[in-house]
Amino acid sequence: MDRDPRLAGAMLPNERRRWPPIKVAELSLAAPAAVLAAVLATAAAAAENKGTVSKRDVDAKLAYCEVCHGVAAQGFHGYYPIPRLAGQQTEYLENQLQAFVERRRTSTIMFNVGHVLSPAMIAALAADFHDLNPKPLGGAPKDLVAGGKKIFEEGIPATDVPACASCHGPDAKGNGAFPRLAGQLFDYITNKLTNWDKERGQNPAKPDTSALMQPIAHKLKDAQIKAVAAYLSYLE
Amino acid sequence: MRLYPPLALCAATLAAVFIGTGSADSMDGAPSGRLQAKISYCKDCHGPAAQGYRGYFPIPRLAGQQTEYIENQLRAFIEHRRTNNIMFNVAHALSPPTIAALAEHFRNLNPAPIGGAPRELVAAGKKIFEDGVPDANIAACAACHGPDATGSGQIPRLAGQLYPYVIKELVNWGKERGQNPARPDTSAIMSPVAHSLSRAQIEAVAAFVSYLK
Repeated sequence: MDRDPRLAGAMLPNERRRWPPIKVAELSLAAPAAVLAAVLATAAAAAENKGTVSKRDVDAKLAYCEVCHGVAAQGFHGYYPIPRLAGQQTEYLENQLQAFVERRRTSTIMFNVGHVLSPAMIAALAADFHDLNPKPLGGAPKDLVAGGKKIFEEGIPATDVPACASCHGPDAKGNGAFPRLAGQLFDYITNKLTNWDKERGQNPAKPDTSALMQPIAHKLKDAQIKAVAAYLSYLE
Repeated sequence: MRLYPPLALCAATLAAVFIGTGSADSMDGAPSGRLQAKISYCKDCHGPAAQGYRGYFPIPRLAGQQTEYIENQLRAFIEHRRTNNIMFNVAHALSPPTIAALAEHFRNLNPAPIGGAPRELVAAGKKIFEDGVPDANIAACAACHGPDATGSGQIPRLAGQLYPYVIKELVNWGKERGQNPARPDTSAIMSPVAHSLSRAQIEAVAAFVSYLK
């Protein structure tokens, strides 16, 4: 109660490494004045072509994301469980933002958020979130962890549930399109696995990788989902 | 504190009723009677059903509020995290069990909102509440306060809150909340949001939530 629970184990905002937008500053230090103008002009033209965003705009957008996703994007318990983005795979983040916009994944709030982001902004945000590494929020039932670890590492061969580790990695850090799960909020994972069919792959015209998880989410029983979610929520 | 004659009368009547009830079923004696007295004291200013009241200051609705939020705010007044002389003195005298009992009492009240906000602002406020203003980096209020603005745990209910109170808090966020540097608190979450909202946007959101039941 005394301290913002979102600050627990998190880096302070001024300790974070921020996304470097364009390297104009570094170039200008190295370049003679005569060349500088040309370099700047080229950089500006390139920026315009690629739709690059300024550090200031990225920082403002990050602060906005963290209002809901928590300090250092460690996740937050709002009215809904709001997922941890810290350490997440950039490809996964970019794909999910696109999924909200394309109605493949249903979330009215995130549709609106994603809708106004330029490709350059999305890339900058994803890179920044990937580089953050706050402690997990914690709070899941500890007694479920051992059972969850077993399911994560070995799957449940009897009911054809594959080992989560085979795609999400032994440390649950994910890889490319496969999301990091380490440190994700217990109730967020529970919620996603329980409602997979109703939230993901919702645009029949645009089938996506969420189809991979569909049969697995379907086979997991409530108790198994909770066990895996508890295990993952404590992983650093 | 007892500056408002009509309310004071209401409160006196209520107090009499409560004392009556209290003595009727107070097998365990005084604590219940003291609690009822404290409740009626709160209602002197916060309104007979804690629906809020327009005194000299807009005095917030407590009815239906999250218990965790009420307890946190009472502590925030004591610890000077939230600045308010009147509420510092009020909270200072409350024991932890009394705070818990008061929070529980207010949580269970459900009077109709006071109303009175400009109706023409409600539609715009609803949009900001539900969608935020993504272009201006303003988060959707609903993400944390819930689609019905009922709040959750440490996050307050806003439904039915007084129009002028919501405006006053959002306009003065940086001067009223999170005022003890030694004790950073959850009010920091709202700081960038309050800062990004324009006066017109604040008024619209305040109007919208003030009518929610």
